[in-house]
Amino acid sequence: MAETRRQTPKAALFKYLSIIVVLSAAAVYGRFRSGPVLEPYVHEVFPEAARMEVSDGIYAALTEQGKLLGWAGVGSASGYGGPLLVIVGIDTEGHVVGARVVEHRETPLFLRMARVSRFFASLTGRSFDRIDYDYEHVVGVTGASRSAGAITAGVRAAVMKIAARKFSIQLSSPERPFEFGILEITLLVLFTIGIASQYLGSSVSELLRWASQIVGLLIIGFWKNSPLTIAKITALLAGYFPGLRWSVSLYLLITGFVLTVMIFGTSIYCSHVCPFGAVQRCIGAVGGRSARLPTRSVRLLRGLRNFIVFFAVFSALIVSKPALASYEPFAVVFALKGSLLQWFLLLIVILASLVINRPWCRLFCPMRVCERVLQDARQRGIDYWKARRHD
Amino acid sequence: MQLFNSPFFWFLEGILFCLVILGFKVWAEDRCVPMPFWKWLLLVAWMALLGFTLAFIGTSLGEGEANAAVKGGILFGIVVVISGVGLWRLIMIGRRTRGRDAPADS
Repeated sequence: MAETRRQTPKAALFKYLSIIVVLSAAAVYGRFRSGPVLEPYVHEVFPEAARMEVSDGIYAALTEQGKLLGWAGVGSASGYGGPLLVIVGIDTEGHVVGARVVEHRETPLFLRMARVSRFFASLTGRSFDRIDYDYEHVVGVTGASRSAGAITAGVRAAVMKIAARKFSIQLSSPERPFEFGILEITLLVLFTIGIASQYLGSSVSELLRWASQIVGLLIIGFWKNSPLTIAKITALLAGYFPGLRWSVSLYLLITGFVLTVMIFGTSIYCSHVCPFGAVQRCIGAVGGRSARLPTRSVRLLRGLRNFIVFFAVFSALIVSKPALASYEPFAVVFALKGSLLQWFLLLIVILASLVINRPWCRLFCPMRVCERVLQDARQRGIDYWKARRHD
Repeated sequence: MQLFNSPFFWFLEGILFCLVILGFKVWAEDRCVPMPFWKWLLLVAWMALLGFTLAFIGTSLGEGEANAAVKGGILFGIVVVISGVGLWRLIMIGRRTRGRDAPADS
Protein backbone atom coordinates (compact mmCIF):
# COMPACT_ATOMS: atom_id res chain seq x y z
CA MET A 1 0.00 0.00 0.00
CA ALA A 2 2.85 2.31 0.94
CA GLU A 3 4.38 2.27 -2.54
CA THR A 4 1.03 3.04 -4.20
CA ARG A 5 0.37 5.91 -1.77
CA ARG A 6 3.50 7.72 -2.94
CA GLN A 7 2.30 7.73 -6.53
CA THR A 8 0.54 10.79 -7.88
CA PRO A 9 -2.96 10.21 -9.24
CA LYS A 10 -1.66 10.62 -12.79
CA ALA A 11 1.14 8.07 -12.27
CA ALA A 12 -1.29 5.59 -10.70
CA LEU A 13 -3.78 6.12 -13.52
CA PHE A 14 -1.03 5.52 -16.08
CA LYS A 15 0.11 2.36 -14.28
CA TYR A 16 -3.38 0.87 -14.01
CA LEU A 17 -4.32 1.83 -17.56
CA SER A 18 -1.12 0.22 -18.88
CA ILE A 19 -1.89 -3.00 -17.00
CA ILE A 20 -5.50 -3.01 -18.21
CA VAL A 21 -4.48 -2.40 -21.83
CA VAL A 22 -1.80 -5.13 -21.80
CA LEU A 23 -4.08 -7.70 -20.14
CA SER A 24 -7.01 -6.81 -22.40
CA ALA A 25 -4.83 -7.19 -25.48
CA ALA A 26 -3.64 -10.60 -24.21
CA ALA A 27 -7.23 -11.67 -23.50
CA VAL A 28 -8.49 -10.56 -26.92
CA TYR A 29 -5.57 -12.27 -28.68
CA GLY A 30 -6.09 -15.49 -26.71
CA ARG A 31 -9.85 -15.47 -27.23
CA PHE A 32 -9.98 -14.80 -30.94
CA ARG A 33 -6.96 -16.63 -32.25
CA SER A 34 -7.77 -19.47 -34.65
CA GLY A 35 -9.57 -22.44 -33.20
CA PRO A 36 -8.28 -25.99 -33.14
CA VAL A 37 -7.64 -27.92 -36.35
CA LEU A 38 -9.99 -30.88 -36.03
CA GLU A 39 -8.86 -33.17 -38.87
CA PRO A 40 -6.03 -34.84 -36.91
CA TYR A 41 -8.47 -35.70 -34.13
CA VAL A 42 -10.94 -37.18 -36.58
CA HIS A 43 -8.07 -39.33 -37.88
CA GLU A 44 -7.30 -40.42 -34.32
CA VAL A 45 -10.92 -41.48 -33.84
CA PHE A 46 -11.18 -43.08 -37.31
CA PRO A 47 -7.58 -44.23 -38.07
CA GLU A 48 -8.65 -46.10 -41.23
CA ALA A 49 -10.29 -42.99 -42.76
CA ALA A 50 -8.59 -41.84 -45.98
CA ARG A 51 -10.59 -38.63 -46.40
CA MET A 52 -13.34 -36.70 -44.70
CA GLU A 53 -16.19 -34.41 -45.62
CA VAL A 54 -17.65 -31.72 -43.43
CA SER A 55 -21.29 -30.84 -43.48
CA ASP A 56 -23.46 -29.20 -40.85
CA GLY A 57 -20.53 -29.12 -38.40
CA ILE A 58 -20.09 -32.91 -38.52
CA TYR A 59 -17.17 -34.75 -40.11
CA ALA A 60 -17.98 -37.80 -42.23
CA ALA A 61 -15.05 -40.25 -42.27
CA LEU A 62 -14.64 -42.11 -45.58
CA THR A 63 -12.37 -44.85 -46.90
CA GLU A 64 -10.31 -44.55 -50.12
CA GLN A 65 -13.21 -46.12 -52.01
CA GLY A 66 -15.70 -43.69 -50.52
CA LYS A 67 -17.27 -46.09 -48.04
CA LEU A 68 -18.72 -44.25 -45.06
CA LEU A 69 -17.09 -45.30 -41.76
CA GLY A 70 -18.98 -42.98 -39.45
CA TRP A 71 -19.25 -39.43 -38.19
CA ALA A 72 -17.29 -37.30 -35.76
CA GLY A 73 -18.81 -34.34 -33.93
CA VAL A 74 -17.53 -31.81 -31.44
CA GLY A 75 -19.24 -31.04 -28.15
CA SER A 76 -18.49 -28.11 -25.87
CA ALA A 77 -18.99 -27.61 -22.14
CA SER A 78 -17.85 -25.19 -19.48
CA GLY A 79 -14.90 -26.49 -17.44
CA TYR A 80 -12.81 -25.12 -14.57
CA GLY A 81 -10.86 -22.69 -16.75
CA GLY A 82 -13.35 -22.07 -19.58
CA PRO A 83 -14.89 -24.00 -22.49
CA LEU A 84 -13.71 -27.54 -23.13
CA LEU A 85 -14.13 -29.22 -26.54
CA VAL A 86 -14.52 -32.98 -26.95
CA ILE A 87 -14.69 -34.90 -30.24
CA VAL A 88 -16.68 -38.14 -30.40
CA GLY A 89 -16.70 -40.62 -33.29
CA ILE A 90 -19.76 -42.80 -33.97
CA ASP A 91 -19.88 -45.52 -36.66
CA THR A 92 -22.77 -46.09 -39.07
CA GLU A 93 -24.29 -48.67 -36.69
CA GLY A 94 -24.50 -46.03 -33.96
CA HIS A 95 -21.63 -47.29 -31.81
CA VAL A 96 -19.01 -45.01 -30.30
CA VAL A 97 -15.58 -45.66 -31.82
CA GLY A 98 -13.57 -43.16 -29.80
CA ALA A 99 -13.42 -39.81 -28.05
CA ARG A 100 -10.70 -37.20 -27.49
CA VAL A 101 -10.31 -33.85 -25.75
CA VAL A 102 -9.68 -31.36 -28.58
CA GLU A 103 -9.20 -28.14 -26.65
CA HIS A 104 -9.27 -27.29 -22.99
CA ARG A 105 -8.34 -24.63 -20.47
CA GLU A 106 -7.91 -26.97 -17.52
CA THR A 107 -4.71 -27.70 -15.65
CA PRO A 108 -2.50 -30.17 -17.56
CA LEU A 109 -2.42 -32.38 -14.46
CA PHE A 110 -6.16 -32.96 -14.62
CA LEU A 111 -6.15 -34.04 -18.24
CA ARG A 112 -3.17 -36.33 -17.69
CA MET A 113 -5.12 -38.06 -14.97
CA ALA A 114 -8.34 -38.09 -16.97
CA ARG A 115 -6.52 -39.86 -19.78
CA VAL A 116 -5.21 -42.39 -17.32
CA SER A 117 -8.73 -43.04 -16.19
CA ARG A 118 -10.59 -45.31 -18.52
CA PHE A 119 -13.48 -42.99 -19.11
CA PHE A 120 -12.99 -42.60 -22.85
CA ALA A 121 -12.17 -46.28 -23.22
CA SER A 122 -15.39 -47.17 -21.42
CA LEU A 123 -17.38 -45.33 -24.10
CA THR A 124 -15.94 -47.31 -27.01
CA GLY A 125 -18.28 -49.91 -28.51
CA ARG A 126 -21.37 -48.59 -26.76
CA SER A 127 -24.48 -47.65 -28.68
CA PHE A 128 -24.93 -43.88 -28.60
CA ASP A 129 -28.28 -44.16 -26.82
CA ARG A 130 -26.84 -46.43 -24.12
CA ILE A 131 -23.90 -44.42 -22.94
CA ASP A 132 -23.19 -44.46 -19.24
CA TYR A 133 -22.00 -40.95 -18.51
CA ASP A 134 -19.87 -42.14 -15.65
CA TYR A 135 -19.33 -38.78 -14.06
CA GLU A 136 -18.42 -40.20 -10.66
CA HIS A 137 -15.76 -42.45 -12.17
CA VAL A 138 -13.78 -39.51 -13.55
CA VAL A 139 -14.35 -37.47 -10.41
CA GLY A 140 -13.16 -40.33 -8.26
CA VAL A 141 -9.91 -40.58 -10.16
CA THR A 142 -9.06 -36.91 -10.46
CA GLY A 143 -10.82 -35.03 -7.69
CA ALA A 144 -11.58 -32.25 -10.21
CA SER A 145 -15.37 -32.27 -10.35
CA ARG A 146 -15.86 -29.27 -12.65
CA SER A 147 -13.37 -30.52 -15.25
CA ALA A 148 -14.74 -34.06 -15.11
CA GLY A 149 -18.29 -32.75 -15.45
CA ALA A 150 -17.22 -30.71 -18.48
CA ILE A 151 -15.75 -33.79 -20.20
CA THR A 152 -18.90 -35.85 -19.71
CA ALA A 153 -21.10 -32.90 -20.74
CA GLY A 154 -18.93 -32.36 -23.82
CA VAL A 155 -19.25 -36.04 -24.82
CA ARG A 156 -23.01 -35.83 -24.29
CA ALA A 157 -23.28 -32.68 -26.45
CA ALA A 158 -21.27 -34.26 -29.28
CA VAL A 159 -23.31 -37.49 -29.17
CA MET A 160 -26.60 -35.55 -29.18
CA LYS A 161 -25.46 -33.53 -32.19
CA ILE A 162 -24.60 -36.64 -34.25
CA ALA A 163 -27.73 -38.50 -33.11
CA ALA A 164 -29.99 -35.61 -34.14
CA ARG A 165 -28.37 -34.83 -37.49
CA LYS A 166 -27.40 -38.28 -38.74
CA PHE A 167 -29.81 -40.68 -37.02
CA SER A 168 -32.74 -38.24 -36.63
CA ILE A 169 -33.02 -39.18 -32.97
CA GLN A 170 -33.49 -36.47 -30.37
CA LEU A 171 -31.73 -37.60 -27.20
CA SER A 172 -32.91 -35.97 -24.02
CA SER A 173 -30.39 -33.96 -22.07
CA PRO A 174 -30.83 -33.82 -18.33
CA GLU A 175 -30.83 -30.23 -17.18
CA ARG A 176 -27.93 -29.38 -14.93
CA PRO A 177 -29.33 -28.88 -11.44
CA PHE A 178 -29.22 -25.56 -9.65
CA GLU A 179 -26.19 -25.90 -7.42
CA PHE A 180 -27.00 -24.57 -4.00
CA GLY A 181 -25.81 -26.81 -1.21
CA ILE A 182 -23.54 -26.96 1.77
CA LEU A 183 -20.74 -25.02 0.04
CA GLU A 184 -22.92 -22.07 -0.89
CA ILE A 185 -24.61 -21.98 2.53
CA THR A 186 -21.21 -22.11 4.24
CA LEU A 187 -19.94 -19.21 2.15
CA LEU A 188 -22.99 -17.10 2.96
CA VAL A 189 -22.68 -17.86 6.68
CA LEU A 190 -18.93 -17.17 6.81
CA PHE A 191 -19.22 -13.87 4.92
CA THR A 192 -22.06 -12.86 7.28
CA ILE A 193 -19.91 -13.72 10.31
CA GLY A 194 -17.02 -11.76 8.83
CA ILE A 195 -19.22 -8.70 8.24
CA ALA A 196 -20.74 -8.97 11.74
CA SER A 197 -17.21 -9.15 13.21
CA GLN A 198 -16.54 -5.65 11.87
CA TYR A 199 -19.04 -4.30 14.38
CA LEU A 200 -18.23 -6.50 17.38
CA GLY A 201 -15.64 -6.23 20.15
CA SER A 202 -12.14 -7.52 19.49
CA SER A 203 -12.35 -10.60 21.75
CA VAL A 204 -15.69 -11.75 20.30
CA SER A 205 -14.60 -11.06 16.73
CA GLU A 206 -11.35 -12.96 17.30
CA LEU A 207 -13.32 -15.94 18.59
CA LEU A 208 -15.68 -15.75 15.60
CA ARG A 209 -12.70 -15.49 13.26
CA TRP A 210 -11.19 -18.69 14.62
CA ALA A 211 -14.53 -20.48 14.38
CA SER A 212 -15.24 -19.33 10.82
CA GLN A 213 -11.72 -20.17 9.67
CA ILE A 214 -11.95 -23.68 11.09
CA VAL A 215 -15.32 -24.21 9.38
CA GLY A 216 -13.87 -22.80 6.14
CA LEU A 217 -10.87 -25.10 6.43
CA LEU A 218 -13.03 -28.19 6.87
CA ILE A 219 -15.82 -27.45 4.38
CA ILE A 220 -14.36 -25.13 1.71
CA GLY A 221 -10.91 -26.70 1.97
CA PHE A 222 -10.86 -30.39 2.79
CA TRP A 223 -14.42 -31.30 1.81
CA LYS A 224 -15.19 -29.18 -1.26
CA ASN A 225 -11.69 -28.02 -2.27
CA SER A 226 -13.13 -24.75 -3.60
CA PRO A 227 -10.99 -21.83 -2.44
CA LEU A 228 -10.80 -18.65 -4.49
CA THR A 229 -7.87 -18.92 -6.88
CA ILE A 230 -6.30 -16.58 -9.42
CA ALA A 231 -7.42 -19.03 -12.14
CA LYS A 232 -11.07 -18.22 -11.37
CA ILE A 233 -10.41 -14.48 -11.62
CA THR A 234 -8.41 -15.01 -14.83
CA ALA A 235 -11.26 -17.04 -16.38
CA LEU A 236 -13.60 -14.07 -15.83
CA LEU A 237 -10.98 -11.66 -17.23
CA ALA A 238 -10.76 -13.90 -20.31
CA GLY A 239 -14.51 -13.54 -20.75
CA TYR A 240 -15.54 -17.02 -19.65
CA PHE A 241 -18.57 -16.58 -17.46
CA PRO A 242 -19.93 -19.99 -16.40
CA GLY A 243 -23.68 -20.32 -15.95
CA LEU A 244 -24.97 -18.93 -12.66
CA ARG A 245 -27.10 -22.03 -12.05
CA TRP A 246 -24.10 -24.34 -11.58
CA SER A 247 -21.53 -21.76 -10.45
CA VAL A 248 -23.27 -20.07 -7.52
CA SER A 249 -20.27 -20.66 -5.24
CA LEU A 250 -17.89 -19.01 -7.72
CA TYR A 251 -20.01 -15.87 -7.98
CA LEU A 252 -20.52 -15.81 -4.20
CA LEU A 253 -16.76 -15.99 -3.66
CA ILE A 254 -15.92 -13.24 -6.14
CA THR A 255 -18.80 -10.94 -5.18
CA GLY A 256 -18.06 -11.42 -1.47
CA PHE A 257 -14.38 -10.73 -2.00
CA VAL A 258 -14.85 -7.56 -4.09
CA LEU A 259 -17.78 -6.08 -2.16
CA THR A 260 -16.23 -6.51 1.30
CA VAL A 261 -12.96 -4.89 0.18
CA MET A 262 -14.83 -1.98 -1.40
CA ILE A 263 -17.13 -1.47 1.60
CA PHE A 264 -14.90 -2.25 4.58
CA GLY A 265 -11.45 -1.70 3.05
CA THR A 266 -10.38 -5.20 4.05
CA SER A 267 -11.00 -8.63 2.59
CA ILE A 268 -13.45 -10.65 4.68
CA TYR A 269 -12.64 -13.60 2.43
CA CYS A 270 -8.97 -13.53 3.46
CA SER A 271 -9.67 -13.06 7.16
CA HIS A 272 -12.68 -15.36 7.67
CA VAL A 273 -13.24 -17.68 4.70
CA CYS A 274 -9.94 -18.68 3.05
CA PRO A 275 -9.09 -22.28 4.05
CA PHE A 276 -5.38 -21.89 3.30
CA GLY A 277 -5.23 -18.86 5.58
CA ALA A 278 -6.71 -21.10 8.29
CA VAL A 279 -4.05 -23.74 7.66
CA GLN A 280 -1.30 -21.17 8.17
CA ARG A 281 -2.98 -19.73 11.24
CA CYS A 282 -3.29 -23.15 12.90
CA ILE A 283 0.35 -23.97 12.13
CA GLY A 284 1.39 -20.52 13.36
CA ALA A 285 -0.40 -21.18 16.65
CA VAL A 286 1.71 -24.33 17.07
CA GLY A 287 5.01 -22.69 16.12
CA GLY A 288 4.52 -19.36 17.85
CA ARG A 289 5.28 -17.33 14.64
CA SER A 290 7.66 -15.04 16.52
CA ALA A 291 10.02 -14.13 13.66
CA ARG A 292 9.91 -10.71 12.01
CA LEU A 293 11.08 -10.27 8.42
CA PRO A 294 13.18 -7.20 7.56
CA THR A 295 11.10 -4.50 5.84
CA ARG A 296 13.36 -4.50 2.78
CA SER A 297 12.93 -8.26 2.32
CA VAL A 298 9.16 -7.95 2.63
CA ARG A 299 9.12 -5.16 0.03
CA LEU A 300 11.32 -7.18 -2.31
CA LEU A 301 9.19 -10.33 -1.97
CA ARG A 302 5.98 -8.36 -2.53
CA GLY A 303 7.45 -6.81 -5.67
CA LEU A 304 8.40 -10.27 -6.86
CA ARG A 305 4.88 -11.52 -6.11
CA ASN A 306 3.30 -8.67 -8.09
CA PHE A 307 5.49 -9.53 -11.06
CA ILE A 308 4.70 -13.26 -10.81
CA VAL A 309 0.96 -12.58 -10.63
CA PHE A 310 1.08 -10.24 -13.64
CA PHE A 311 3.19 -12.70 -15.63
CA ALA A 312 0.95 -15.67 -14.69
CA VAL A 313 -2.27 -13.85 -15.63
CA PHE A 314 -0.77 -12.45 -18.84
CA SER A 315 0.54 -15.87 -19.93
CA ALA A 316 -2.76 -17.57 -19.12
CA LEU A 317 -4.73 -14.95 -21.06
CA ILE A 318 -2.52 -15.03 -24.12
CA VAL A 319 -2.79 -18.82 -24.46
CA SER A 320 -6.42 -18.64 -23.32
CA LYS A 321 -5.92 -21.20 -20.54
CA PRO A 322 -6.93 -19.48 -17.26
CA ALA A 323 -6.09 -22.55 -15.18
CA LEU A 324 -2.41 -22.07 -16.01
CA ALA A 325 -2.35 -18.87 -13.91
CA SER A 326 -2.98 -20.86 -10.75
CA TYR A 327 0.33 -21.39 -8.99
CA GLU A 328 -1.19 -21.72 -5.53
CA PRO A 329 -0.54 -25.01 -3.71
CA PHE A 330 -4.17 -25.31 -2.53
CA ALA A 331 -4.91 -28.54 -4.38
CA VAL A 332 -1.84 -30.15 -2.80
CA VAL A 333 -3.13 -29.42 0.71
CA PHE A 334 -6.79 -30.20 0.15
CA ALA A 335 -6.70 -32.96 -2.48
CA LEU A 336 -3.05 -34.11 -2.46
CA LYS A 337 -2.87 -33.24 -6.16
CA GLY A 338 -0.38 -30.88 -7.80
CA SER A 339 2.89 -30.52 -9.62
CA LEU A 340 6.20 -31.25 -7.90
CA LEU A 341 6.89 -27.50 -7.80
CA GLN A 342 3.65 -26.94 -5.89
CA TRP A 343 4.60 -29.69 -3.41
CA PHE A 344 7.92 -27.93 -2.69
CA LEU A 345 6.17 -24.56 -2.51
CA LEU A 346 3.79 -26.01 0.05
CA LEU A 347 6.70 -27.37 2.10
CA ILE A 348 8.36 -23.94 2.18
CA VAL A 349 5.12 -22.12 3.08
CA ILE A 350 4.16 -24.57 5.80
CA LEU A 351 7.60 -24.48 7.43
CA ALA A 352 7.66 -20.68 7.20
CA SER A 353 4.19 -20.56 8.81
CA LEU A 354 5.68 -21.98 11.99
CA VAL A 355 7.80 -18.88 12.54
CA ILE A 356 6.21 -16.14 10.38
CA ASN A 357 2.62 -14.94 10.58
CA ARG A 358 0.72 -16.18 7.47
CA PRO A 359 3.64 -15.94 5.03
CA TRP A 360 1.62 -17.06 1.99
CA CYS A 361 -1.07 -14.42 2.56
CA ARG A 362 1.44 -11.64 3.15
CA LEU A 363 4.10 -12.46 0.59
CA PHE A 364 2.88 -14.83 -2.11
CA CYS A 365 -0.93 -14.91 -2.41
CA PRO A 366 -2.25 -13.52 -5.73
CA MET A 367 -5.54 -12.60 -4.08
CA ARG A 368 -3.63 -10.12 -1.92
CA VAL A 369 -2.60 -8.33 -5.12
CA CYS A 370 -6.28 -8.10 -6.12
CA GLU A 371 -7.09 -6.82 -2.63
CA ARG A 372 -4.37 -4.14 -2.86
CA VAL A 373 -5.66 -2.95 -6.24
CA LEU A 374 -9.23 -2.74 -4.92
CA GLN A 375 -8.08 -0.98 -1.73
CA ASP A 376 -6.13 1.53 -3.78
CA ALA A 377 -9.12 2.17 -6.05
CA ARG A 378 -11.36 2.57 -2.99
CA GLN A 379 -9.02 5.00 -1.28
CA ARG A 380 -8.54 7.09 -4.41
CA GLY A 381 -12.31 7.18 -4.89
CA ILE A 382 -12.78 8.37 -1.31
CA ASP A 383 -10.05 11.02 -1.71
CA TYR A 384 -11.59 12.22 -4.96
CA TRP A 385 -15.07 12.39 -3.44
CA LYS A 386 -13.76 14.33 -0.40
CA ALA A 387 -11.90 16.78 -2.64
CA ARG A 388 -15.03 17.35 -4.70
CA ARG A 389 -17.08 17.97 -1.53
CA HIS A 390 -14.62 20.59 -0.26
CA ASP A 391 -14.67 22.35 -3.61
CA MET B 1 20.15 -53.51 0.80
CA GLN B 2 20.98 -56.77 2.56
CA LEU B 3 21.96 -54.78 5.64
CA PHE B 4 18.41 -53.53 6.18
CA ASN B 5 17.05 -57.08 6.23
CA SER B 6 19.66 -58.45 8.60
CA PRO B 7 19.09 -58.89 12.37
CA PHE B 8 22.27 -56.89 12.91
CA PHE B 9 20.60 -53.75 11.52
CA TRP B 10 17.66 -54.06 13.90
CA PHE B 11 20.02 -54.82 16.79
CA LEU B 12 21.96 -51.63 15.93
CA GLU B 13 18.77 -49.62 15.58
CA GLY B 14 17.54 -50.84 18.99
CA ILE B 15 20.83 -49.76 20.59
CA LEU B 16 20.66 -46.36 18.93
CA PHE B 17 17.03 -45.91 20.00
CA CYS B 18 17.95 -46.69 23.61
CA LEU B 19 20.88 -44.26 23.44
CA VAL B 20 18.62 -41.50 22.07
CA ILE B 21 16.05 -42.03 24.84
CA LEU B 22 18.77 -42.23 27.49
CA GLY B 23 20.44 -39.10 26.09
CA PHE B 24 17.15 -37.26 26.13
CA LYS B 25 16.56 -38.27 29.77
CA VAL B 26 19.98 -36.91 30.79
CA TRP B 27 19.38 -33.75 28.77
CA ALA B 28 15.96 -33.17 30.39
CA GLU B 29 17.39 -33.64 33.90
CA ASP B 30 20.32 -31.38 33.11
CA ARG B 31 18.01 -28.63 31.82
CA CYS B 32 15.50 -29.09 34.68
CA VAL B 33 12.71 -30.12 32.28
CA PRO B 34 10.08 -32.19 34.11
CA MET B 35 9.19 -35.32 32.16
CA PRO B 36 5.92 -36.88 33.38
CA PHE B 37 4.66 -40.05 31.71
CA TRP B 38 2.44 -38.24 29.16
CA LYS B 39 5.44 -36.36 27.78
CA TRP B 40 7.31 -39.64 27.35
CA LEU B 41 4.29 -41.15 25.62
CA LEU B 42 4.05 -38.22 23.20
CA LEU B 43 7.78 -38.35 22.58
CA VAL B 44 7.69 -42.06 21.74
CA ALA B 45 4.66 -41.53 19.47
CA TRP B 46 6.48 -38.73 17.67
CA MET B 47 9.58 -40.88 17.24
CA ALA B 48 7.39 -43.63 15.78
CA LEU B 49 5.98 -41.08 13.32
CA LEU B 50 9.49 -39.96 12.41
CA GLY B 51 10.54 -43.57 11.92
CA PHE B 52 7.48 -44.23 9.76
CA THR B 53 8.31 -41.19 7.59
CA LEU B 54 11.90 -42.30 7.09
CA ALA B 55 10.76 -45.85 6.39
CA PHE B 56 8.21 -44.57 3.85
CA ILE B 57 10.85 -42.59 1.99
CA GLY B 58 13.34 -45.47 2.15
CA THR B 59 10.95 -48.18 0.99
CA SER B 60 9.53 -45.96 -1.77
CA LEU B 61 13.02 -45.27 -3.07
CA GLY B 62 13.86 -48.96 -2.74
CA GLU B 63 10.92 -49.84 -4.95
CA GLY B 64 11.93 -47.24 -7.55
CA GLU B 65 9.04 -44.89 -6.70
CA ALA B 66 10.96 -41.62 -6.46
CA ASN B 67 7.82 -39.53 -6.99
CA ALA B 68 6.04 -41.24 -4.10
CA ALA B 69 9.16 -40.81 -1.95
CA VAL B 70 9.27 -37.05 -2.61
CA LYS B 71 5.55 -36.44 -2.17
CA GLY B 72 5.19 -38.78 0.80
CA GLY B 73 8.37 -37.35 2.32
CA ILE B 74 7.01 -33.80 1.99
CA LEU B 75 3.57 -34.74 3.31
CA PHE B 76 4.70 -36.79 6.31
CA GLY B 77 7.73 -34.52 6.78
CA ILE B 78 5.42 -31.55 7.25
CA VAL B 79 3.37 -33.49 9.80
CA VAL B 80 6.57 -34.54 11.61
CA VAL B 81 7.97 -30.99 11.72
CA ILE B 82 4.71 -29.37 12.87
CA SER B 83 4.05 -32.04 15.51
CA GLY B 84 7.72 -31.84 16.50
CA VAL B 85 7.49 -28.10 17.11
CA GLY B 86 4.24 -28.57 19.04
CA LEU B 87 5.80 -31.38 21.08
CA TRP B 88 8.86 -29.25 21.84
CA ARG B 89 6.64 -26.49 23.23
CA LEU B 90 4.71 -29.05 25.31
CA ILE B 91 7.92 -30.60 26.66
CA MET B 92 9.17 -27.19 27.71
CA ILE B 93 6.09 -26.66 29.87
CA GLY B 94 7.09 -26.41 33.53
CA ARG B 95 10.79 -25.96 32.82
CA ARG B 96 12.63 -24.48 35.80
CA THR B 97 15.69 -22.28 35.47
CA ARG B 98 18.52 -23.19 37.87
CA GLY B 99 19.10 -19.62 39.05
CA ARG B 100 15.51 -19.05 40.09
CA ASP B 101 15.03 -22.36 41.91
CA ALA B 102 18.43 -22.58 43.58
CA PRO B 103 18.55 -21.53 47.26
CA ALA B 104 19.90 -18.05 47.77
CA ASP B 105 23.50 -17.85 49.03
CA SER B 106 23.70 -16.52 52.52
